[in-house]
Amino acid sequence: MRCPFNIIIRVAAALLIAQAISGCISLQIDKMQEGVDVLPPPVEFLQKKTLLEEILSCYGAPTDLADMNGDFALYYRKALNRGMNVSIGIPFLKSSLLPNPSMEATGNLLRYDTAVFIFTADGVLKDMKYEKGTSRSLWEDYWQ
Amino acid sequence: MKRVYFLISILLMASICTGCAVFGRGKNFVPFDENALKQVTAGKTSASEVMRLFGPPNKIVKLSNGNAYVYERSVDKVTGLWLVVLSFGNFETQYDRIVFFINNDDVVTHFGSSFNSETTSYAMPF
Repeated sequence: MRCPFNIIIRVAAALLIAQAISGCISLQIDKMQEGVDVLPPPVEFLQKKTLLEEILSCYGAPTDLADMNGDFALYYRKALNRGMNVSIGIPFLKSSLLPNPSMEATGNLLRYDTAVFIFTADGVLKDMKYEKGTSRSLWEDYWQ
Repeated sequence: MKRVYFLISILLMASICTGCAVFGRGKNFVPFDENALKQVTAGKTSASEVMRLFGPPNKIVKLSNGNAYVYERSVDKVTGLWLVVLSFGNFETQYDRIVFFINNDDVVTHFGSSFNSETTSYAMPF
């Protein structure tokens, strides 16, 4: 039978290490989302044929709209931000007079799903563009 | 011996669960009633009726053939979890929006609405 004191010492050491590294090494993962998914335009949407009411009934109220010298544009957007922060240091040294070596790496990537519909003054679709930025590779986009 | 293991488990749990959780909810409130949309008819309802039903708009956009009245409100929810070496944060904002297109004769020609603020959720960032 193993001696319970050995186990206690090991566990105490593990707890001590856990407490010691608490705050010394930290990893923070963040996500920020604004707006709902923006769907790709249906194939039925055709330039010079689709009307404003069809877009409004399909997509609802736009995120933004803009006047474009006679034409106007409806803008639908979802924003998705992902962030990460890694830090290594010894926090209690900050409050002492000892040198305080520390390292922190932080990064974030804000991406958008966007659909833009441009209409003539009569409310007929003139042009449209869709991009799903959130489906792209997070890693590749970040280092591009 | 069982007591020792029990004590060890409690200490381990206490050590692992060191940290805290945060839940937050914010609202950018504009008191418009989505049921009032039933009283709006494109081609008939006037701009003044829209303002009587929904109050002053958050934004008015000038268009070449009239104006657009924009009504908007939002709900945001924050979830945070701090553990020993790991922390997670999630921020989500969703909107309720109504846009009325009003022609130069002050009559509503089109309108669109989206009500998503109730879909805002508390979640983890994965």
